[in-house]
Amino acid sequence: MPEGVAPRLLGARVKRREDPRFLTGRARFVDDIVKPQMLHAAFVRSSLAHAEIAAVDAARALTLPGVRAALTGADAARSAKPITCDSTFDSWQGTEYPALATERVLFVGQPIACVVAEDRYLAEDAVELVEVRYRELTPVTSIKDATAPGAPRLHSHWKDNYFIKRHLRAGDPDAAFARAAGVVELTTVSNRHSGIPLENRGCVAEFDADQTLTLWTSSQIPHLVRTGLADVLALPESNIRVVAPDVGGGFGIKAHLFPEEIAVCLLAMKTGQPVKWIEDRSEHLLASIHAREHHHQVKLAYAEDGELLALSGRIDVDCGAYSVYPFTATMDTGMALGILPGPYRIRNYECEAYSVATNKCPLGPYRGVSRPAAAFTIERAVDEVAHALGMDPVEVRRRNLVAPEEFPYESITGLVYDSGSFVESLDKLLADSRYEELRRQQQAARAEGRFLGLGIAMYTEQTAHTTTEFAKRGVPIIFGYDSAIVRMDPSGRVNVRVSTHSHGQGHETTMAQIVADSLTLPLDHVRVTFGDTDSTPYGHGTFASRSAVLAGGACARAAETIRGLLIRFAAERLEAAEADLELAQGSVRVKGSPAIGVTISELARLAHHRPETLPDGMEPLLEAVSTYDADPGTGTFANAAQLAFIEVDIETGGIKLLGYWVVEDCGQMINPLIVDGQVHGGVAQGIGGALMEELVYDEDGQLRTTTFMDYLLPGATDIPRIEVSHLSTPSPFTIAGIKGMGEGGAIAPGPAIASALVDALGPLGHAVVDELPLTRERVRRFIEAARADGKAHA
Amino acid sequence: MSAVSDVHEVRLRVNGVERVAHAPARRLLSDFIRYDLGLTGTHVGCEHGVCGACTILLGGEPVRSCLMFAVQADGAEIETIEGLASGPDDLHPVQQAFWEHHGLQCGFCTPGMVLTAKALLEHNPDPTEADVRKAIAGNICRCTGYVFIVDAIRAAAGIGRERDGA
Amino acid sequence: MKPPAFRYLRATSVDECLAAMSEHGDDAKILAGGQSLVPLMNLRLARPSWVVDVNHVPGLDYIEVEGDVLRVGAMTRHRDLAASDVVARACPLLAQAAAMIGYPAIRNRGTIGGSLAHADPAAELPCVACATDAEIVVAGRDGERIIFADEFFTGYFETALAPAELLVEVRFPTTRAGESWQFREFTRKSGDFAVAAAGVGLALADGLVTRARIALGGVADRPVRATAAEERLAGGPLEGPDIAAAAALVADVADSGSQDADAVELASVLTRRALEAAAAELRGAS
Repeated sequence: MPEGVAPRLLGARVKRREDPRFLTGRARFVDDIVKPQMLHAAFVRSSLAHAEIAAVDAARALTLPGVRAALTGADAARSAKPITCDSTFDSWQGTEYPALATERVLFVGQPIACVVAEDRYLAEDAVELVEVRYRELTPVTSIKDATAPGAPRLHSHWKDNYFIKRHLRAGDPDAAFARAAGVVELTTVSNRHSGIPLENRGCVAEFDADQTLTLWTSSQIPHLVRTGLADVLALPESNIRVVAPDVGGGFGIKAHLFPEEIAVCLLAMKTGQPVKWIEDRSEHLLASIHAREHHHQVKLAYAEDGELLALSGRIDVDCGAYSVYPFTATMDTGMALGILPGPYRIRNYECEAYSVATNKCPLGPYRGVSRPAAAFTIERAVDEVAHALGMDPVEVRRRNLVAPEEFPYESITGLVYDSGSFVESLDKLLADSRYEELRRQQQAARAEGRFLGLGIAMYTEQTAHTTTEFAKRGVPIIFGYDSAIVRMDPSGRVNVRVSTHSHGQGHETTMAQIVADSLTLPLDHVRVTFGDTDSTPYGHGTFASRSAVLAGGACARAAETIRGLLIRFAAERLEAAEADLELAQGSVRVKGSPAIGVTISELARLAHHRPETLPDGMEPLLEAVSTYDADPGTGTFANAAQLAFIEVDIETGGIKLLGYWVVEDCGQMINPLIVDGQVHGGVAQGIGGALMEELVYDEDGQLRTTTFMDYLLPGATDIPRIEVSHLSTPSPFTIAGIKGMGEGGAIAPGPAIASALVDALGPLGHAVVDELPLTRERVRRFIEAARADGKAHA
Repeated sequence: MSAVSDVHEVRLRVNGVERVAHAPARRLLSDFIRYDLGLTGTHVGCEHGVCGACTILLGGEPVRSCLMFAVQADGAEIETIEGLASGPDDLHPVQQAFWEHHGLQCGFCTPGMVLTAKALLEHNPDPTEADVRKAIAGNICRCTGYVFIVDAIRAAAGIGRERDGA
Repeated sequence: MKPPAFRYLRATSVDECLAAMSEHGDDAKILAGGQSLVPLMNLRLARPSWVVDVNHVPGLDYIEVEGDVLRVGAMTRHRDLAASDVVARACPLLAQAAAMIGYPAIRNRGTIGGSLAHADPAAELPCVACATDAEIVVAGRDGERIIFADEFFTGYFETALAPAELLVEVRFPTTRAGESWQFREFTRKSGDFAVAAAGVGLALADGLVTRARIALGGVADRPVRATAAEERLAGGPLEGPDIAAAAALVADVADSGSQDADAVELASVLTRRALEAAAAELRGAS
């Protein structure tokens, strides 16, 4: 923050400026957009997981009244290239993801054809009349099947079914394993699930007489969608406008370019009319983006006193059939490889990591990306070390957490943990949760034959990583910065346009807080907009917990430029030296003589309407555009510790959450109300993934969970009160010490609840809880395992 | 309009105002409200009655508008989110409370959630936390984790009492 | 997901409804609460050519006690069953079960007639009908007939209703003094469809069981009575071992339809808990 400016709004618990339109039903989501002559699209989707397409015939569909046009894969291929997104790593094998399948389909639900009609009802009728003939191929529906010798290859030009193979070795793992007192071996499975925003995907495309394509789309990344469309459609980027309106949740799922978006654009071009596509929930579950399917095998070597000596392992990620844009199919894998050691001081490491192709929906990043699975693995392994040694898991953690004096800490995988409060957050968690009291409740319940359990999990989360980090990851577009335009109008009010896109994070408030502080204006004099590529500066969008730091930083820098202009102008008007001037309460005034000054609104009026009053060399207008790349570009690390308090019904396998506590640290908060909301929401999604959310494929590659009757989402009676408290360890690298934090809540509930389950079953024996979600069937399995072990532990 | 299904006149009171439109039998009430009546505050999340985004009040009670056909609403009285307030200075206590307590993030579940809360408070002006959670259990939110929503609804009960001078 | 096209008729009398059902046969479906039918139609799994809306047929929405019978009109909403003091006294199992159906918005529209006619073997009200020996009153072109609950459910989502018949009323024997009724279900998350359910009724006199009723949902293609368990309890004391033995016998449940071993095991646990609660209530009342 600028020197000498005491923040009023930075760190303030301000209610959100954007809320009124959402509260009164006046927001504008993509399905609220209605254009004259608009047609409605529906997709013909593959009913098989792996097949050649022998024929697609839309003739009957086109005879239905109200049906206007159809597009097949062959049609689409004439006007659009497939989506490609290739890693720069050597072992990479890439894919071509067509807007509509041409020769082959590679997952159930993959789009094959698209029809447009006067309304969606008719379009769905038409879809039923499109005939598709397939030649079935053997589906490959698991990592095991995909990597077995002689497995059918999904992509004919590949030599096997691996998108990528990675290997990292650092320190001296062999020596460390050799001197270990013991080794925990653990295999974990984090099953497939996804972000499931409440608003499905959707878009409206319009191609006008000027050959300009406009796409309104429910997206987190409007500029990247534009770049991607320009590439696949071979249209100049400047002929494309992408507008992301209000977006009903994204969580990473909507941070992709989709084949459906391309098909809809093509149909708008073909028919000359606007075309709308709003997916339904089954389409979303089948064919949007899946996430988090990780299979890990690790060995964790430890010393007699609980010191963690070495970690080795193998990570397999089931990435589905295609590489997604803009992240590639390496994102989960590379991230897991780097973060597996977690917040612990492990100095010897060897790990292989693989992205595997299967006949499933493509996998992409979802809140936390691979960190939930990685945290699950390391936290379970650390707990098992504690169990092997008969030590308290809290104590084992204390011994191994990176300590305050070690920051900035370069991890064995090359990540720079810039600052953090790992040990402090653990201590505070125990205090805030009244851990001893919870243990007493557990004991009392045991006497009544009830099984309560406590589980702790911790993580550190890389946020706002930019150029350096993404260059290391081998992605084709380096998400190295985000941007802001700060424009002061003649009245002295400010419009801020950012390249990121809020879909629940409150940027219209948080970015305004930053700019209002810098220019000493009231909050409601600053208006923030985003989403329209025509009016916002180029940038990457909102994902990877980057916006607070990067958009915030860009806003701060642009506002700083405006400050400079105001001071320069005021110096001229007041005949004072710039160094003697300060901004305060909407004016520029002489330090120590507050009566001598000029209001910002007056300066703004003059700068626009009385240019003759400007100093020599100063141009009219008060506008600045800035980007921000938080040096050194390796990100800033937030951290948290979470505690789950559960009750297990050992007869039914049901788990009930009795309480949940979080101590989180994201450095300098912009708005604590929003931070709390992000933590609550992340934790709730983490709980869903820990207890009930799972995308289940059968051995034929058919998705069993295609509606909310089968894919369960936690409701208000499933999520307990979540108590959140904060520590603040600012980043030494970022503007104002802000760290990102949007994803973190979702990282630890899986391991925390798993740990609580082990703890709850203690009187029966020890179970190794190694798979999520903890459905009833799995819990029963773990109960049996505990009984089979039979060695009760406290 | 499709030639296959018949078209019906649907005459109903929406937020106190009589509205008329025509729809084929199969038009869902959720789509009718959004497209035929132009009230896009009611949202669609699943179309199979689980998520609650489409919740409206029918005769004052929360129902899933995706599980009704528009024709069923002929002669009915419904309330949508647009009927609660007309601007930021005229918010219903529930809306006011959601704003103050950060009870919304992306806003997609908010109309259904607010209407459900409104109906709850009309039946039960002083609900416990458990009462609130049970009442909104059929309204999914993916963003908030429900914590501030519950706070907002309980606070709304208080705001309501204040406004009534209780 | 939009439903396929259909024709809609808003019936204003039972006769009008029956005439329409007669004319269109299997192509027609009754639309009551819609909470089960409309999702199926939206998913295009149910594709009736005709939908006959009975929500405006007068005289089907009532809750009355007549002598020792609780008479409930077919269009009575779950919400009203759950909130009714009359039902709470006359047939507590019905009140408990109705309150557990889904979520408030579902209960505001769903009806008892619709639920029984839909015949989901895991649903609450079919289980209650079975447990209480309810009588289902059905109107047809030739007048009304009564179908007993244990004959009404004939298979997976199938009933003894003929195509041109309408369920108009359900009759429950009213609870007598000295009886306790308990409903328990297990769901994967609260408000979800039940994986298994147990509806239990016990009567005690002089410390001995004079009547035991146990009906289970989710263990077969229809709700079933656990007759072996009932027999084990009848005439004997109601101590822990008796309850445990009865619950264990639930595993030997009636042999109609396919059995899901997992659901049966759950049902056994739920039965034991329901029996324990009933026993506690009876002990408390004595």
